[in-house]
Amino acid sequence: MSDEILDEITASEYKYGFTSDIESDKVPPGLNEDVIRLISSKKNEPEWMLEWRLDAFRTWSEMIEPDWPNVTYNKPNFQAISYYSAPKQTKTLDSLEEVDPELLKTFEKLGISIDEQKRLTGVAMDVVVDSVSVATSFKETLAEKGIIFCSMSEAIQEHPELVRKHLGTVVPKRDNFYAALNSAVFTDGSFCYIPKGVHCPMELSTYFRINEAGTGQFERTLLVADKGSYVSYLEGCTAPSRDENQLHAAVVELVAMEGAEIKYSTVQNWFPGDAEGKGGVFNFVTKRGICERNSKISWTQVETGSAVTWKYPSCILKGDNSVGEFYSVAVTNKFQQADTGTKMIHLGKNTKSTIISKGISAGKSHNSYRGLVRVGPRAENARNFSQCDSLLMGNQCGAHTFPYIEAQNPSAQIEHEATTSKIGEDQIFYCNQRGIGTEEAIALIVNGYCKEVLNQLPMEFAVEAQKLLEVSLEGSVG
Amino acid sequence: MTDLAQDLLSSFVIAEAGLNGSKNLGVVNMRKEALDRFETAGFPTTRDEEWKYTNLKPVLKHDYKIMLKSESAVSFGDIKQYLLSNLDTYKLVFINGKYSSWLSESTHQSYDICTFAAALNKYPDVIAKYLGKAAPAGETFVDLNTAFADDGAYIRVKANQTVDKPIEILYITTDENGTSFSQNRNLIIVEQNAEVQVLERHQNLGTAESFTNFVSEVFAAPDARLNYYKVQNDSDKASLVDNTHVNQETGSLVHVGTYSFGGKLVRNNLNFYSGGEHAESHMDGITIIGDGQTVDHHTLVDHQEPHCYSRELYKGIYLGNSHGVFNGKVLVRQKAQKTNAFQQNDNILLSDKAKVDTKPQLEIFADDVRCSHGCTVGQLDKNALFYLRSRGIPKFEAQGLMTYAFASDALEYIKIPQLQKRLNGVIAEKLGINLEFAL
Amino acid sequence: MIRINDLQARVEEKEILSGINLEINPGEVHAIMGPNGSGKSTLSSVIAGREDYEVTGGTIDFEGEDLLNLDPEERAHKGIFLSFQYPVEIPGVTVSNFIKTAINESRKGRGEEPMEAREMLAKMREKTALLEMDKSYLSRSLNEGFSGGEKKRNEIFQMAMLEPKLAILDETDSGLDIDALRIVANGVNKLRSEDNAVLVITHYQRLLDYIEPDFVHVLYNGKIVKSGDKNLALELEAKGYDWIKEENV
Repeated sequence: MSDEILDEITASEYKYGFTSDIESDKVPPGLNEDVIRLISSKKNEPEWMLEWRLDAFRTWSEMIEPDWPNVTYNKPNFQAISYYSAPKQTKTLDSLEEVDPELLKTFEKLGISIDEQKRLTGVAMDVVVDSVSVATSFKETLAEKGIIFCSMSEAIQEHPELVRKHLGTVVPKRDNFYAALNSAVFTDGSFCYIPKGVHCPMELSTYFRINEAGTGQFERTLLVADKGSYVSYLEGCTAPSRDENQLHAAVVELVAMEGAEIKYSTVQNWFPGDAEGKGGVFNFVTKRGICERNSKISWTQVETGSAVTWKYPSCILKGDNSVGEFYSVAVTNKFQQADTGTKMIHLGKNTKSTIISKGISAGKSHNSYRGLVRVGPRAENARNFSQCDSLLMGNQCGAHTFPYIEAQNPSAQIEHEATTSKIGEDQIFYCNQRGIGTEEAIALIVNGYCKEVLNQLPMEFAVEAQKLLEVSLEGSVG
Repeated sequence: MTDLAQDLLSSFVIAEAGLNGSKNLGVVNMRKEALDRFETAGFPTTRDEEWKYTNLKPVLKHDYKIMLKSESAVSFGDIKQYLLSNLDTYKLVFINGKYSSWLSESTHQSYDICTFAAALNKYPDVIAKYLGKAAPAGETFVDLNTAFADDGAYIRVKANQTVDKPIEILYITTDENGTSFSQNRNLIIVEQNAEVQVLERHQNLGTAESFTNFVSEVFAAPDARLNYYKVQNDSDKASLVDNTHVNQETGSLVHVGTYSFGGKLVRNNLNFYSGGEHAESHMDGITIIGDGQTVDHHTLVDHQEPHCYSRELYKGIYLGNSHGVFNGKVLVRQKAQKTNAFQQNDNILLSDKAKVDTKPQLEIFADDVRCSHGCTVGQLDKNALFYLRSRGIPKFEAQGLMTYAFASDALEYIKIPQLQKRLNGVIAEKLGINLEFAL
Repeated sequence: MIRINDLQARVEEKEILSGINLEINPGEVHAIMGPNGSGKSTLSSVIAGREDYEVTGGTIDFEGEDLLNLDPEERAHKGIFLSFQYPVEIPGVTVSNFIKTAINESRKGRGEEPMEAREMLAKMREKTALLEMDKSYLSRSLNEGFSGGEKKRNEIFQMAMLEPKLAILDETDSGLDIDALRIVANGVNKLRSEDNAVLVITHYQRLLDYIEPDFVHVLYNGKIVKSGDKNLALELEAKGYDWIKEENV
């Protein structure tokens, strides 16, 4: 392929890079115990929640930022970040009509207008702009089944017993540097509870957006699936273009009780930085689920955004016969860096895990898979299969694979395979000859390469993910 | 800083005075700089990513003697069993780190097969050209060795020469010094289109604990060929950190086979630097260990030039409460297009208490390459086991046969039949089976 | 339909084609034969537009248009189809998805509307039946794990779907057993019409028993050294290529 095509297309700017003007109620930058007290009081939180945050803050103060991921970046200045910002509103909204029209316009530009989503897909939405929920829907339908799906702030007020019981049980406050920070300062997020035996009738979905310059985004998601229940949860994000780096350090906790099944899908498309690698979101996320007996957690992610990604959705397979799955497509282009993968911790007997990871590196980016499969001494008959493939486009990018396998039980069966390949000129010529242009040919080949992962996504999400892949990789073959 | 590190630092002044090469200013400075780096870094701990799975603490805690004395009472009869029988070889034997001329057979005819100590004095130009050029400064154990090592094997095969018989290098430790810490160093230079086969072994004959920090630097010139076999079947008192660094030029072929059955803690740092087109790098090994043993294979293949090939195959069988570690990295630099790299690590745990940690890694910076790696942890195939038993082979033997079959493809590259036979014997003994008919 | 005039091409400094002249009219079947290394596959690649080959002289005129200025996919949109000697594997992309994309991209290239799903499906069914292919073919990854015969049959299936004006069959007979050869040739014959043309490139006469050519050309050292009717192929088979070589020393 000629360099011209490459230049031409790598120059195509982030399509969702625009800013919307919404007035914000913002805490001045900096972090100390007073700021945490302020956040807690602004959110009208009970005493136990404040204590929990303060404890996390003290833990965090003694921790150091990790440097083991295979990424380099300027470390954020935690005292320059504003830890709370809420769209200015005096009363809670009852319907979409009351939402700031500016915000609705933003969603329209993104092609995810709430009305349309509601009408066409039957998806219940909990929209998060910056840190506070401004609209939730379909609550009544869900309420009939006893399903709770609301913002974390609301859950703290309305369902304190559930939050207290589960918050921090999967990702403890001191788990890691960013989880501790999140525990101290999280402003909002989603809470979901599926009662015993209930099959959630619709895909639950949250659209995140980072929207305020200089605002760190600290989401907290807690999803509890009680015995024998089922839920499919979708998470997707786009962010406006910014000059300065934006930090995102979310925590997601999943609890799958006996016989429950959770399917958690993510399409992530945050601003990756411009053609010179400037700007872009730092995405340092802790996602983890715990599986009780006979339960199953399945993570699917399509990652195309962020300047720096550091993310390992994991499963603790605690109960016997529990199942963990991880399906991932991670695309890096321009100067993006991603260090992502999963951890499968086998503790129970007859536990099974599957890891399918497809990395695509283009431009001057670096894409690392980092995964851990651990089989504990009591995990009889544990099974794991991992397949980690890398596709390189152009000769200035890197693809790296760092699997860790730790087996302490002789009945464990673990298989790990990895390959590295490129899109062949002969493949492209073959497509050309059949009338398919080079851009379409690449999209076709990449979608074929990622198929095993895309197949795991719910239909409407899969379509969006395919579009994202195409946009992210336009013209990257050299 | 550990007590041992302190002891080493304070011993250096005394050691340096007695070291060979002291007249060679370059070497003197190299030693001092290496010691300074060691002083800053100290011994690695499990917090160090490269040592995550192997804890040195238990073996570094002993009160080792650093300045060792040789022992004259060792006879050929004492060491005979550690050499290949029925095979004529050159022999370089070291007792407590010092060369033993009466047990050795060296040569200066068409090639130099002698000692590192002699080379430091006799060949300053060669030393200046090669010493420290393959083993990188900054690796703690390499630095420590550079500071102290004063003897070892020196092999230089001149262009177009094929060494007529294999070279056996044997490092013996006795109880003469009590618990001892030894540091020797090999320098192996294979010039253009030359060929040689080298066997190496460390053996503690005594009952006291020993720790060996060993460095081997290998240089393979264009089209050179080297087979380097490391047989590790030491006593349960002996620990070893082996650092082997191989520099390869265009068209050279180097095979390093590591066969680990013994020792208390064995760490093999094996690094290949593939610095010429069409170079071939082969590394393979078998590990069969039991109670109280740890073997850690830590490999790197650094592909720097296009059109190179590397093949890596390690098989591990773990009994008792043994611990196996594999950490293999394949690095393909941007320039190294058309690299073909293969890496495989397969493990079987035969006991409830055994564990294995494996980390095969790929770091790829070139797009037109064929790289694959894989690793497995598993058991013997139950159906095959049943098949053998239904043909009248008792369970224990059937297991042994299948285990042998699992491991044996890592022996295929051995070019010395006597060595292959010897290793088969060791494997049979380890697995408690009779392999006569299987050979 | 296509007029090749004094075509010269080279790859990496080495001249492969040194002045090819060839004219093919609608409804005709031409065969190009020649020993290994004579430039047969280069000719097909140059017509299809592979970038590895540098055209150093001459012209290719296709229905009044200069072909050499067009990208490979534009040539495909104009109706040129190359059946590859070694069809390429594309993991994860199904045969049906691939052919759907190819047809609709070609239509788009010609300013036409995409084909309706119902029509597409009916056509796929018809053409798989023509080539005696099982329907499960359609949901397999393109050429991945296909046997040599399956790959060739898949090429002709795509040709049937795309309905090109000029089909170039590059060594389509290699690797085919006699039954597969008969099916493939039968497929090609069914697709022949007054409006399209076929260029068969082959080393052996065998395929020409099934796809009867109107003209046979012998390619040697990058030039057409002999032309005739189908009897030339038989003569060539009987005498061997040494006959040509001796005549052209």
